[in-house]
Amino acid sequence: MALALEMKGITKYFPSSDVLANNNVDFTVEAGEVHALVGENGAGKTTLMNILYGLVKPDSGEIFLDGNKVSIGHPDDAIRLGIGMVHQHFKLVPSFTVAQNIMLGIEPSTFGVLRQRDENEAVARLAEQYGLPVDPTAHVRDLPVGMQQRVEILKVLQREAKILILDEPTAVLTPQEVGELIRIVRNLSKLGYTIIFITHKLVEVMHVADRVSVMRGGRMMGTKKVSDTSIPELARMMVGREVILQLEKPEARPGEVVFEAKDVTVASASGVPAVLNLSLQVREGEILGVAGVSGNGQTELVEAIAGMRPLDGGKLYFLGKEINRLDVYQRRHLGMAHIPEDRIQVGLNLEANLDENLIVSRYKLPRFNRMGFLLRRAIRDFSASIIEKFSIAGARPGGSIATLSGGNMQKVVVGRELSGNPKFIIANQPTRGLDVGSIEFVHQTLLDARAEGAGILLVSVELDEIMSLSDRIVVLYRGQIQGELDAATATEEEIGILMAGGTLQETARSMKAAAS
Amino acid sequence: MGNFTDILTFQLLNSGIRLATPIILAALGGALCNRAGVLNLALEGKMLLGAFLAIVVAFYVGNTYIGIVIAMMAGGLLGLLFAFLYHRYEVDLIILAIALNMLILELTVYFMRVLFGQVGSWSDPSIQRVPDIQIPVLKNIPVLGDILNGYNFIVYFSWFAAIALYFILFHTKFGRHVRAVGENKEAAETVGINSRRVQTFALVISGMLAAMGGAFLSVGHLKLFTRNMSNGRGWTAITAALFGFNHPIATFFTGLFFGFADAFAVRIQNVTDLPPNLAQLIPHFTTLVVLVLVALREKVGQMLARRRFQTQLQSPQTSPEGATSPASGTD
Repeated sequence: MALALEMKGITKYFPSSDVLANNNVDFTVEAGEVHALVGENGAGKTTLMNILYGLVKPDSGEIFLDGNKVSIGHPDDAIRLGIGMVHQHFKLVPSFTVAQNIMLGIEPSTFGVLRQRDENEAVARLAEQYGLPVDPTAHVRDLPVGMQQRVEILKVLQREAKILILDEPTAVLTPQEVGELIRIVRNLSKLGYTIIFITHKLVEVMHVADRVSVMRGGRMMGTKKVSDTSIPELARMMVGREVILQLEKPEARPGEVVFEAKDVTVASASGVPAVLNLSLQVREGEILGVAGVSGNGQTELVEAIAGMRPLDGGKLYFLGKEINRLDVYQRRHLGMAHIPEDRIQVGLNLEANLDENLIVSRYKLPRFNRMGFLLRRAIRDFSASIIEKFSIAGARPGGSIATLSGGNMQKVVVGRELSGNPKFIIANQPTRGLDVGSIEFVHQTLLDARAEGAGILLVSVELDEIMSLSDRIVVLYRGQIQGELDAATATEEEIGILMAGGTLQETARSMKAAAS
Repeated sequence: MGNFTDILTFQLLNSGIRLATPIILAALGGALCNRAGVLNLALEGKMLLGAFLAIVVAFYVGNTYIGIVIAMMAGGLLGLLFAFLYHRYEVDLIILAIALNMLILELTVYFMRVLFGQVGSWSDPSIQRVPDIQIPVLKNIPVLGDILNGYNFIVYFSWFAAIALYFILFHTKFGRHVRAVGENKEAAETVGINSRRVQTFALVISGMLAAMGGAFLSVGHLKLFTRNMSNGRGWTAITAALFGFNHPIATFFTGLFFGFADAFAVRIQNVTDLPPNLAQLIPHFTTLVVLVLVALREKVGQMLARRRFQTQLQSPQTSPEGATSPASGTD
């Protein structure tokens, strides 16, 4: 097959962060194939694609398109050469219609005056041509995420791209939407488009791609045919060692209820109830997984439980006592721990050093202070013990944490939260943005805490995470629990239906109706 | 008696429309900037500069129109300077605006003293006010003619500007790019729209409009300059733009509303014994009330959203708008 793209000897060094993001990388993509590009965070795949799209200038290296050497200094060049990118964070104008977004910058006009009807017709034609139905006059802000992504894809197609870069396209989708996206991508490939699919989910690679390239630490580790490789092999290439993909999960031994939420209502920033009359219980020694598409009330629920956000109704009980009126510190003092979803903004203070970050929730303990003065040596020792226990690479007592990698930063948070033997742990997206190795570590740590009898509320939009760790699963949809499942028997499809707001009975009914 | 009240009403309307003109012009500029995502808090200073330059140039050159043009060019140049400092050095626009507002207030007083030896206010008999226009057919139509006829060109220009700006923003390619830049700059930039150019344009135009509003004060409405002549109208204009959802037509009417508040304050001083200080508070008080209304509008919106949400949840059969029916999604 002919090569659509060839990148040769690409090297890029970022002096500000002293990172060699791409180290003599070679990358070739055949015309008409779906080529997955995988790697942990910081492996250099985003940099490589930004170079291809003209957002970053390489220090050295050459790019060939259809065998011709090209220079791409700006996204405009990339677009002109037929390269289109669907960004992980959509670049859409919410108050504009679908057609206005797709045609942005290339609007049909007469002497600068818009021809809005032509615009809508052109988009309708485009949608039909590719079998991607959309309503050209719908406002983007009203569309579900999967639909917004479709608008982004159409936007790229309208600009006559032949090579499509999809950057982590499944990160924000429900399982059903992922299935739909994979169908779309396969179909585009059949139509002759070349697709580069960036992801770190290996299961998706096996479903969608023809070939896969793996990057690690700024280097290209190799390219494989998907039919000739396996998930464990790819994982090994990504991480550089054997990875335990299947966690050892001992039988749950649930005890007393440690935490209970009763009819909890929480308002979001815009005043709309983000959580409505929600009730749940967490027992000792079990993990309750809260699944759901992000933005369905997870953040508000977690913040309300942790004491960071006032309740608008309902009651919270911790160890049988009502805790509505207790503040964050008091709740923590009773044995509650919280791994927040945003480690940079909420979980850590990057300006403060490692020691300060580690004792921030317990500096009042007599162990660390005497008459208002901090006991420096005790804190150092504590810090050293956490670094050792959680093997935080690159950290030293009293050192900076801003220079740590994302995975090691998260280890600092997890280390702080779990070191006091908490009775109840809220883990909100504990592995977001982490590499496979760090994910494995965090998961194992949570399972250890569970074995020691802690009750854990695990909130995650990663279905794999929910399914492999939880004992029970509840699905959050529009601030309410859409359904509860036993983790041992739940299937991805069932959870997906609930995540999209469906009910299992309804679906069973309609499936029966379809069959008859 | 009936005649007397009639005249009073028309006069009030006439002076309301006149006093609204500088507010409308500046508010349109403010709305344009808000649409382009560059907060322009320097309208007050640009208006004051316009008022000062227009009358000073008119005095030295002997032509009022040249005074107005120079004032507008100065306003536009200031807008350009803002855009340059913002894009090139990432200077904070709010701080820049505060500094400029204070600087211009003091500079105008300083030059009034240096050039004319006056402190509080200055005028000269040689200065010509912009003449009022009699529109042929319109002036003979009763009521309508009384209300709409007999203003100078700046007043009519402000009406035209509102319509033109509406057309540009919502019916031209460039206007759509302005709105795209204001709402999601990255989205606009990834499709090759030059956001700097768009924002620079907005800042320049709004500077010109605000300066024109100022010129109206010194050579269009009166023919004198007083210390702090803009007297908060630039700030009122910002409120008017907000209250009008940054929509040119709606902003025109909110500007008009503030003009009437001004006119009413003047009128009430003439016909009642209300202490003048209290009467002068009326426009500022209206601004405050409007700001509260703007805030309340948000609250009411949230309340309605909450109610909608709850009714949706209570009737799960009717699937909410936007979301696809989950059952059909899995068929």
